[in-house]
Amino acid sequence: MSQQSLNAPGPGGDDESGDETVTGGQTFASAQAADDLLDEIDAVLESNAETFVRSFVQKGGQ
Amino acid sequence: MKRRVGGLETEFGLVCVRADGSRALEPEQAARELFRPVVAMGRSSNVFLRNAARLYLDVGSHPEYATAECDDWWELVAQDRAGERIFADLAAQANDRLAAEGQDARLHLLKNNVDSAGNAFGSHENYLVDRRGEFTRLPRYLLPFLVTRQIVTGAGGVVRERTEDGQDGPAQFVFSRRSDHMWEAVSSATTRTRPIINTRDEPHGDPTRFRRLHVIVGDSTMSEVSTHLRFATTDLVLRAIETGRALPELALHDDIAAIRAVSRDLTGRAPLPTAEGGTTTALEVQQRWLDHVAPLAEGDEQDALETWQRALDAVRTGDRSWAAQHLDWAIKERLVAQVAERRGLDLGAPEIERLDLAYHDIDPGAGVFPALQRRGMAPSVLSEERIEAARESAPSTTRAHLRGQVVAAAQEHGVDHVVDWTTLRLTRPGAMPVQVLDPFATHLPAVDALLEEIRAAGIAPDAPAPPA
Repeated sequence: MSQQSLNAPGPGGDDESGDETVTGGQTFASAQAADDLLDEIDAVLESNAETFVRSFVQKGGQ
Repeated sequence: MKRRVGGLETEFGLVCVRADGSRALEPEQAARELFRPVVAMGRSSNVFLRNAARLYLDVGSHPEYATAECDDWWELVAQDRAGERIFADLAAQANDRLAAEGQDARLHLLKNNVDSAGNAFGSHENYLVDRRGEFTRLPRYLLPFLVTRQIVTGAGGVVRERTEDGQDGPAQFVFSRRSDHMWEAVSSATTRTRPIINTRDEPHGDPTRFRRLHVIVGDSTMSEVSTHLRFATTDLVLRAIETGRALPELALHDDIAAIRAVSRDLTGRAPLPTAEGGTTTALEVQQRWLDHVAPLAEGDEQDALETWQRALDAVRTGDRSWAAQHLDWAIKERLVAQVAERRGLDLGAPEIERLDLAYHDIDPGAGVFPALQRRGMAPSVLSEERIEAARESAPSTTRAHLRGQVVAAAQEHGVDHVVDWTTLRLTRPGAMPVQVLDPFATHLPAVDALLEEIRAAGIAPDAPAPPA
């Protein structure tokens, strides 16, 4: 089975020409997406990152 | 084996914090909150679901999800992702209840492998292998593959080295943090001295025909591509071993020293001493296995080979443009570098560890991985529909189909039942258990009779749907 395209990053994406042929517009769009994501991550890291990390202690599993 | 059954067991990390990040509930209490709807439905924190998977609470208050038996590795990925959604929903319900009670407490479920004190927990792969086959020679060939596989399927992460006098040394990015928690190559232990291959012989099937190979070296992977590669490549290597023909002779001098060295060497080229007195490298071991199994690949396995090759090329050339959008370690490597640069942080900073935890947080709203997926920066190979369907539907080509039918019918008709991997039965007095020892069975007259019995005994054909 499996008609999935392994090499496409997004759902239904099917870029047969490979990943390297990004146009200027797409590069800009993905740079924008990366910046947005980093802004989102900043919000997580600025709220008590160290305390959160220290709170995550469990006994080991298998 | 031409057709092989496999399954994936995932232990999740669990933490419940206040808004200020401090611990709100102990892990035991947090787990109790999480499992409340499960216990209400199944009167136990160990249940089988309609999709034939097992959901339970493991040692150390680790919520665990074990997929049903799959014989197709994309189906396995779908079943694994379905498990994330089921647990994410349970966490959301628990958080809603806590909020409604006015508690400053929020649960996070983390699909990772180590907590901040260094306690490890697992992602265990199971492969059905033939009892008559090559089990005695299997570790010799499989181990070099498993030791080096992390350069393809590792989850990535940061480790802080210790100096000789026990002080914190420099922090560095590695392919797999789990490598540091492996202490033996092959043994029957799981918690005490964690081995790469666990030899516990529980076939969950006809013991005269089958063995279960239990691989416990893997990282929990968020990327569907990484999870798929774990199974697709290991299956091909097992198939090559099972042919009984000559195999790449790559046995390593010290598997545990090697697994730690490989994890720290992002070039894949560090020399690894072999048992025969020479040296090899992680890239060489992986490439030799890829080339060796290539003639055995059929149908969509060709795609898996191509992806495996791309992954090796990313390490060989240092060109991460493909890997940084597809493979967990490379996605995380890029993200960690970006965040460290942007915030002027050392890799050992607590913010970087917090980022690693957020990467593995399965909350669809708060997790970093889903945020990457939404922006096309991490793969979404499987459709939404397929993942959602896997929450309700068992794999249709293995024994899981029978278990799924029985659980679904029993839930719909409100009939008390007990099932495990091989046995299906009703709990009323005198009910006869049905044993299914063939993991490939998808139809059995005894199961048809059991389904008939459930319908006949049914009291509430439109009972409310269970939480999962």
